[in-house]
Amino acid sequence: MNKHYKTIKFVFASALVGLVMAGFTSCGKKDENSPGVEFMPDMYRSNSLEYYGTHVVDGVTEQTAKEPVKGTVARGFLPYAYPNTKDGYDAATANLKNPLTAQSREVYEKEGEVLYGKFCVHCHGASGAGDGKVGAKLPGPPPAYGSIQNLTEGKIFHSITYGKGMMGQHASQLTQEERWKLVYYVQKLQGPKAAAADTAKAAVTPTVAAAANH
Amino acid sequence: MKNHISRTTAKALIATIFTLFAFTSNIFAQENAKNGEKLFKLNCATCHKSHTDQKLTGPGLKGVFDRVQSGSMSKDEWMKKWILNNEKMIKAGDAYANKIFNDNGKATMSVFEGQLTDADVADIMAFIKGPAPIEGPVTGTTTGPTATGDPVDGGTKVEPLYLILGTIVILAILLGAFRSVRNSMQNAANRAEGKAENPDLTFWQETKEWMSGHRRLVGVFAIVIGFIGMKSCWDACYDIGVYYDWETQKGYKPEQPIKFSHKLHAGDNEIACQYCHSSVEKSRHAGIPSVNICMNCHKGIQSGPQYAEKEINKIYNAAGFDPKTQTYDKKKENPLTWIKVHNLPDHVYFNHSQHVVVGKIECTTCHGDVKSMTVAEQKAPLTMKWCIECHRKTEVAMEGNAYYDRLHKALKEKYAGQYDVKFTVEKIGGLECAKCHY
Ligand code: HEC
Repeated sequence: MNKHYKTIKFVFASALVGLVMAGFTSCGKKDENSPGVEFMPDMYRSNSLEYYGTHVVDGVTEQTAKEPVKGTVARGFLPYAYPNTKDGYDAATANLKNPLTAQSREVYEKEGEVLYGKFCVHCHGASGAGDGKVGAKLPGPPPAYGSIQNLTEGKIFHSITYGKGMMGQHASQLTQEERWKLVYYVQKLQGPKAAAADTAKAAVTPTVAAAANH
Repeated sequence: MKNHISRTTAKALIATIFTLFAFTSNIFAQENAKNGEKLFKLNCATCHKSHTDQKLTGPGLKGVFDRVQSGSMSKDEWMKKWILNNEKMIKAGDAYANKIFNDNGKATMSVFEGQLTDADVADIMAFIKGPAPIEGPVTGTTTGPTATGDPVDGGTKVEPLYLILGTIVILAILLGAFRSVRNSMQNAANRAEGKAENPDLTFWQETKEWMSGHRRLVGVFAIVIGFIGMKSCWDACYDIGVYYDWETQKGYKPEQPIKFSHKLHAGDNEIACQYCHSSVEKSRHAGIPSVNICMNCHKGIQSGPQYAEKEINKIYNAAGFDPKTQTYDKKKENPLTWIKVHNLPDHVYFNHSQHVVVGKIECTTCHGDVKSMTVAEQKAPLTMKWCIECHRKTEVAMEGNAYYDRLHKALKEKYAGQYDVKFTVEKIGGLECAKCHY
C-alpha cells in the first residue's frame, strides 16, 4: 500500500523536475520582436549616439543626425557653388559645364546607365519617357526627356542636385562625379539633338568648365 | 402675309445658323480643350493639378478664373500674360502677380514665352475651364495589390512557457491533495486498527526517506537529469546573441515605427535597393535612409494602398512637412527611430561595399527575398560559422577586376598544375582572425 503511493509520488516528482528543465530550455525560443539574449549587450547596442534617433542635451531632446556645421564640408562631399534658388538654377543652366572629360562620352554614359537604373528609373522610366512605376503615381508625373530639349548640362546637374518640383534632391545619395555621369546618360536619353547642342556649346566656351570644379 | 412668312423664315434661318454655329463652335471648343489637355500634361502637370485644389509645386487650378484679380485687363488676357511670362508680370509690379509670387514662397514658375503660342495658351485655358478629364487607371492609390496581408497576426497562440508553468502548479496542488488524503486515510486506518498514528512528516522529509531507500535509482536519475540539463544549457548558449531560430529558420523581425513594406517599395514599385540604402556601395554600412530620401517620392505620393495616409503622415511628422502647403518646418522635425534588424556586435568588422562592389554578392544572398517581405526580417543567422562557411565555398569574383586580371594570370602561370585553381575567399585570407576582428 505504502509502496504504491510512493511510486505515484516518484512519478509526480520526476515529472516536475522534467518540466522545470523543459521550461528552462524553452525560455530561449524566439519572439520575433525581441533580439533574444545578448552576451555583452554593450557590444550590440553601443553607448555612443546612434544617428537614427534622438538624444537629450541639457534636458532638450535633439535629433542626432545633423547638418554639417556651417563652413564645413562633409567627408566625401564637395561643396556646390550654385544655391538652390531660381537665380542659382539660371546661373547653373548658363555656366555649369561637365568636368568629366578624361574618358570618352561612351564610357561615362555606360556608368551613368548603371546609376540611372538604381536612382532614376522608377520615376523616369527605362527610356526616359517619364513612365516609371513610381513616376506614374506622382501627382505630377515627370516629363519625357525627349520633350524637354532645352536642358543644358548645367541645368540637368542642378536639377539632380537640388531636385525640381515633384522630384526630390539627390545630392545626399550621389557624389558630384556620379551626377555628372548621369548627365551624360540623360543627354543620351534625350536623343542626339541635345547631346550635339551641348558639345557644340562646350567647344565654344571651354573656359567656363573650370567653374564646375568647385 | 408674304412679309410675315419671310420674317419667320428669316427667324428660322437665323436660329438654324445660330445653333449650327453654336454646335460647331462647341466642337471646336472641345477640340481646343483636348489639345489643351495634351499641352497641360506636357508643360504644366508636373507642378499643377488642373481640376482640384491640391497644391503640388504650384497651386491647384480649380476655380482660378474665379479668383484671379486681373485689374483693368480681362481675366483671359491676364492669364495668358501670366502663363507666357510670369516673371515679367511680377517685375512690372502687377499686384495679383506679386501676391501669387509671395503666397507660393517666392518660387517662380517656368517662362513659356517662345515655347507656347497664343493659340496653345488659349487651348490650355479652355481645358482648365472645361470639365475635369477622366483619369486613367494610374491614379496612385487604386493600383497595386492591396491584399498584402497584415504582418502581425499571431492568432491565439499560448506561450509554451505559461503552459508548462500552469501544469507545474496544477501538479503541485494535486500532489499536495493526494498526500493529505493518503495521510488522513492511513491515520484513520491506523486508529481503527489501534496502532499509533503516522508521524506527520513534511514532504521533504518523506522524499528524503524514500531517496535513502532507493539510492541506486536516485543516482541514475540524477545523472540523466544532470546530463540533459548540461546539454540544454550548452544548446542555449548557441542562441546567445543570435537573432535567429535555427529550427524554424525565422529571424528577428521587429515592429518598426512605420509600417514600411519592402514588398510594396522594392517589389511592386521596383525601386532599386540602392536608392534608399545608397551608401551600400560606398561604405561599410548599407545605411538606413534618412527621411529626406522618403520625401523624394512622398512629397507627391501622399496616400498608400494599404494604410492610406496614416503611415505616410508619420514621415511628414518626422520631416516637419506640411503636405497642404508643401513646406518644411525645421522646428517640427521628429526623428524616426528605426530598429536595426541586422545587428553585428562591435567586435566584428563587416564591410558592405567590399562584399557588394568587389565581391559582387547579391543583396538577396544574405538578406533573402526582401522584395516579398512586408516586414523586414533577418534571413541569415549572421553567426561566425555562417560567415566562415560562405568564405570557404565562395569563389573570388575575378572577372572584370583589373587587380586580379594581372595577379591571377601571373599566379596561374607560376603554379601551373601544382595546385587546384579554385580561388575561394579562404585562399586569399578570408579565414584570418584579424580580417574581421581587430
Ligand atoms: C520621385 C521621382 C523622381 C526621381 C527618383 C527622379 N526624378 Fe527627375 N524628375 C521627376 C519629376 C516629377 C520631374 C519634373 C520636375 C518639374 O519640372 O517640376 C523631374 C525632372 C527631371 C529633369 C528635368 C529638370 C529640369 O530642370 O527641367 C531631369 C534632368 C531629371 N528629372 C533627371 C533625373 C535624374 C538623373 C534622376 C536620377 C538621379 C531623377 N531625375 C530621379 C521625378 C523624379
